[in-house]
Amino acid sequence: MKSFRKWWLAALLILCAAVSIVFTHYNDSFYHQTIATVTENTVTKTEAVTDQFNNKDTLYTQQLTAKITNGEKKGDVITLTNQYSDSKGFDNEYEIGHDLFIEKNKLAEKNDIHSYDIVGVKRDVHIVTLLWVFIAVLIAVGRLQGLFSVISLFINAAIVWTIINIYTTYDAYLLILCIVGIFLFTILSLLLVNGFNEKTMTAILSTLVGTFVSLGLAFIVLKLTNEQGMRYEELQFITRPYKTVFMAGLFIGSLGAVMDIAITMSSSLYGLYEKNPAISLKRLAQSGREIGKDIMGTMTNILFFAYVSGSIPMLLLYFKNQSAFGYTLSINLSLELVRALVGGIGIVLAIPISLVIVLFFIKRKQAIR
Amino acid sequence: MNIIIVLAIILAICMLIIGGKKGLRSFIALFLNFIVVIVLLFFMNVPQFNPILLTFIACIVVSIINLFYINEVNPMTKIAFVSTLATTGFLVVLIWLFTKSSLIQGFGEEETEELSMMSLHIGLDFQQIVISVIIMSTIGAITDAAIAIASPMREMLTLHPEATRKQLFDFGMHIGRDIIGTSANTLFFAFFGSYLALLIWFNDLSYSLGEIVNSKIFSSELITICCAGIGVTLVIPITAFIASYFLKDTKEETHLS
Repeated sequence: MKSFRKWWLAALLILCAAVSIVFTHYNDSFYHQTIATVTENTVTKTEAVTDQFNNKDTLYTQQLTAKITNGEKKGDVITLTNQYSDSKGFDNEYEIGHDLFIEKNKLAEKNDIHSYDIVGVKRDVHIVTLLWVFIAVLIAVGRLQGLFSVISLFINAAIVWTIINIYTTYDAYLLILCIVGIFLFTILSLLLVNGFNEKTMTAILSTLVGTFVSLGLAFIVLKLTNEQGMRYEELQFITRPYKTVFMAGLFIGSLGAVMDIAITMSSSLYGLYEKNPAISLKRLAQSGREIGKDIMGTMTNILFFAYVSGSIPMLLLYFKNQSAFGYTLSINLSLELVRALVGGIGIVLAIPISLVIVLFFIKRKQAIR
Repeated sequence: MNIIIVLAIILAICMLIIGGKKGLRSFIALFLNFIVVIVLLFFMNVPQFNPILLTFIACIVVSIINLFYINEVNPMTKIAFVSTLATTGFLVVLIWLFTKSSLIQGFGEEETEELSMMSLHIGLDFQQIVISVIIMSTIGAITDAAIAIASPMREMLTLHPEATRKQLFDFGMHIGRDIIGTSANTLFFAFFGSYLALLIWFNDLSYSLGEIVNSKIFSSELITICCAGIGVTLVIPITAFIASYFLKDTKEETHLS
């Protein structure tokens, strides 16, 4: 019966995947924008360029033939011109089979010439395909736990999206929304990942205490140092108070890592206790400290790389434009480093906090026995 | 005083108090990894070097720091090392397939203003650099998962030397399933936190669903999240397989000798 249900579930997921991938292949008529598929591609001009910093690049002009796939002009064959460079930082090299969003060139229209401009790339097919590959890998490796982590990911994404929606429509207090969000994230993710039991309860409590203690500490440091050395330039594209947005991101960013620590500590300590219920608290505390030492190094590194790597393209661009080294680092890395360090402090503080909370509950249990 | 220095000092003190000698080593490792990133940037600056190859070398150095320096050189960390590199190699191919077709390289619309003064034709291939970025953002999580699986597998073999290769592999997968949710979560929340500003920006522009899904920034975020998730998941069977293969092998050898 159970395996029967399992096959049904697998079949259902495969069906969903197939339907959604096929749909994104043929959904052109659902778009308001005009879409065209590239059918031919010739490079008409190649030009070597050198900029004022002596960086060498090559510019290409490509002539594309494309077929419109939706709207009134469906089936029309048009030609498009595109310029791209070897570096492709802001341009794209289009190849046969790429789907492009196009728009009529307004200026040419006035002169009664029909010509189109490329305004974007249709990426939905790749996004949906990759999403299903990801879900398939998670479930194939993790089975039920994999399925639960997929579900928990989608729930968390939905919560993030809701928080942002409430914030942007009602202009509500973002930090308060995030605090509510932290409670929801923690409780839902840990319940989904670990099930409803005492281990999960202590992990939830440890995560919440750990997160708020480390954020409180970060907040004090931010105030005391007057945020000296923080460069918010990267965030200035948003038309909202970017410091608040940064704080909110800080709240959410380290949560996953603190949860990881809390669940590792409580699972392993409860595991030791269940093996030997008469174990002394002193012995448990010692094991807890050893486990903590083992996980703190790699965990802080996870956050470091997750945050800092995203800045690599921008750092390279600054270097190539001969910006000063220190200036480039501070303008592009200060926020990421603050995130990584605050997250790291959260991880390290979560270790003794989880330890104390777990020991408290085990002590109570032992007293009842 | 500069906030980054203050925070770094606080972190160092916390790690030293709570982690002792190993805590201090962990902090030094973090600092070394920072230097690895900076050195990587210097080499990537040279157009003649292949960024993916450079990233792979950086991954080797990072794994050496995270596995052999924080811990020590032993069969367990060696297995974690080989598994990390195998997973990274596999991930490069996957990311290459998806980034090539979805054209997410380079800079997004939100950065146009900031970059208007800059020369953009700098001769570096951003289509390869985006692969480096995704690999580098996952490498910490991959080494973490590899060691988290390899280490209990060795304990298991010490307790039950008679365990078969298949049993050992199943045990590794079992451990892996326990950590799959939390290690994926760690990465996701980190990404959610740093993408928050972008998501707010999207909301303010009131883009339609179609516009959001097809935009460069959103797709590149989603592709990063999915590839990172696939990386921390795939490291589980890879480590379980390599560990069951090598641990059992060395065990038999010592029996014979």
